[in-house]
Amino acid sequence: MVRLLVILLLAAPVCGAQQARTNPFHGSAEHIDAGRATFRIYCSPCHGIRAEGGNGPDLTRGVYEAGDSDANLFDVISNGVPGSAMSAFGGRMNENSIWRIVAYLRSVTQNEPPVVAGDAARGRRIYEGKGGCSGCHRIAGKGGRLGPDLSRAGRTLSLARLRESVIAPNESIASGFDTVTVMTTAGGTIQGRQINIDNFSAQLMDSQEQIHSYLREEVRSIESAPRSLMPSYADALSAPELDDLLAYLVSLRGN
Amino acid sequence: MKAHMKSGVIVTLVLLAATLSFAADVTNETLLKAQGDSESWLMYGRNYSGWRYSELDEINTSTVKRLAPAWIFQTGVSGRFQTTPLVKDGVMYLTGHGNHAWALDLLTGRELWHYSKQPEKDVQGCCGQPNRGFGILGDTLFKVNFGGTLVALDAKTGDTLWETTVAEYKQGYSATAAPLIVKNLVLVGIAGAEFGTRDFLDAYDATTGKRVWRFWTVPGPGEPGNETWGGDSWKRGGGSTWITGTYDPDLNLIYWGTGNPGPDMNGDVRPGDNLYTCSVVALDADTGELKWHFQFTPHDVHDWDAVADPVLLDLSIKGEKRKVLMQANRNGYFYALDRASGEFLLAKAYTEITWADGIDSKGRPILIPGKDPTEEGNVACPGLGGGHNWHPTAYSPQTGLYYFDSTDGCQIYYMTTQGHIEGQWYQGSTVGRITDQPSKGSIVAVDPATGETKWRYEMVSTPSSGLLATAGGLLFGGDSQGYVTGFDARTGKVLWKFQAGGTVAAAPIAYRFRGKQYIAVAAGGTLLTFSLPDRD
Repeated sequence: MVRLLVILLLAAPVCGAQQARTNPFHGSAEHIDAGRATFRIYCSPCHGIRAEGGNGPDLTRGVYEAGDSDANLFDVISNGVPGSAMSAFGGRMNENSIWRIVAYLRSVTQNEPPVVAGDAARGRRIYEGKGGCSGCHRIAGKGGRLGPDLSRAGRTLSLARLRESVIAPNESIASGFDTVTVMTTAGGTIQGRQINIDNFSAQLMDSQEQIHSYLREEVRSIESAPRSLMPSYADALSAPELDDLLAYLVSLRGN
Repeated sequence: MKAHMKSGVIVTLVLLAATLSFAADVTNETLLKAQGDSESWLMYGRNYSGWRYSELDEINTSTVKRLAPAWIFQTGVSGRFQTTPLVKDGVMYLTGHGNHAWALDLLTGRELWHYSKQPEKDVQGCCGQPNRGFGILGDTLFKVNFGGTLVALDAKTGDTLWETTVAEYKQGYSATAAPLIVKNLVLVGIAGAEFGTRDFLDAYDATTGKRVWRFWTVPGPGEPGNETWGGDSWKRGGGSTWITGTYDPDLNLIYWGTGNPGPDMNGDVRPGDNLYTCSVVALDADTGELKWHFQFTPHDVHDWDAVADPVLLDLSIKGEKRKVLMQANRNGYFYALDRASGEFLLAKAYTEITWADGIDSKGRPILIPGKDPTEEGNVACPGLGGGHNWHPTAYSPQTGLYYFDSTDGCQIYYMTTQGHIEGQWYQGSTVGRITDQPSKGSIVAVDPATGETKWRYEMVSTPSSGLLATAGGLLFGGDSQGYVTGFDARTGKVLWKFQAGGTVAAAPIAYRFRGKQYIAVAAGGTLLTFSLPDRD
């Protein structure tokens, strides 16, 4: 009896808290505007000025990895996502500001899955075969390490961003994937994906996935550029092949 | 027995005298002579002119290559240090992120006391919860807490003597600047312009904590300057005072830089010049009365605060001896003003500028049309952070050069129509990176008499730290990749570096302890000290 009473007492405030976790600003134009302004300040550097994705996921699709309710979104913004680039904003803005961002995100949600004309199965064959994508990219622990891991590409990148990445990879470089070029004193050139660069040294991964470290004082030059090591596939794939590849990439949900 | 007691009394008195002599109080006279006290660092800018120059030369261009860590203090507190430590009588006093502060033994680096106060759960701020240091008077330390209070601590114990509210954090205010002690006043700046606050500079009685005067950086109705604000936009006008100012005791004037108008990027809702934002104001030290002002960026829409160090020196400009105030402004221009009158003397660009085609003879920028932020985004240079932002600068009377850092490049500025909700972000939008332009920066050495850049050290990323000049012909700084660096102050050549393992966001200081010169700087959440190892 005592145990039952304790359980009931413990359960009561939990139920109350859950009831309070609805967005008090849902649908309010004034608060959506405020949320949009806050989103632009805090979130747009990763998620894009219109929430359509950048280095961070496209947030207009209405499908989120941590859950799709307003409370789920609130928790992700508050606490971040461990193991990802999404940091906790709970200490940087108050609860009302977070709820306003959630209200804004709901106002731009399209709820329509991206329309991809291609076939994902054919796209996978292109990815692993003609495209040679797996030589540099990793999916579920298999593949190369030179390019970004694509295991969750369908969740984190919009269709437009995926298309751009395939046909014009220099347009928007994923964070941490700039190219470093080192000219040695012997006249050789080493190029690779930038791991670190500072005023005195650089560390990079070359196409063989070897990691190199150079001191500026020991080489002729070290240069970093916001340029991708990935070639453009604009001419290498036909339009239907590109659609197939995109359909495969969109299907990658991290499952 | 009596004789023994008498001798005991004598011994006690001698010990007391030695202790008192060792722990002498900081007086106004001490502060006025702070520049010559090699064993101390007593205020944010080292002296009232804000030079950040140490007369110590044991560590110099010849010996600096031997510079090595002496001791390291790890706070265990996350967040980047932005503090300028104070040093007095064998103790270092430093403030940290999120309302922490410490006193450290100079001999060993061991903690003597630790002050902390949990920040309010719902306090906001634009850029983390940094703190930039203490002020000291008598044996009392003064610091702000992030939620908008000024606290006085016993320097011996860290105990709180009093705490007074400077501003209500729920309205969007926060506090980060190191207080400036002038006479018996504690001068305290405030932040909040990104939240639609109306900002000010306050002076508090150092003994009681009671406010003596307040200067509103955005004038109210009936006050001169209010006519530069359309409608009631002055109520949300910003003008933060978030970096410590300087003081000329001969003129009895305090100089303080002010921040952007609010909302930052939407100027449509605040037509007019928006005085006294993006300005330096000269105030009577006793009353806070405005003596003159100079506005660098009228009607700013790029968040180009004018809070950078207003550094004071006397020099000849265009053949005339002048009492000068100089500032490397965030808008991309270096300025020299007459600090007695506020007269504009010269301006010179130190980084790429696309928003103005120079500065006219009165000091007003000659605007290039079409550079304001838009809903879809519009490119302007420099970017939102400047140019030179808040990072502490240094002036060396030895080289005659003024040193500061600069972010070099452009950004996309967005404008958003946004209603104001008390305590909420009111920035009117944001900035975006230009994807094919890497962020980069430099350390710049300028001749203050002409504004000419004498040397520039280019960095692979945006700068992060403050600077220190020394009589050893050196300039010390740091970067966001964790290097503490020593430069030849005359040429900009790197003579020494040390990987500290965390972003250097604070300014180095120098002091002498037991006859040896030390350099101290915070990096990440760690305080490091360096000295020359003893020779065998």
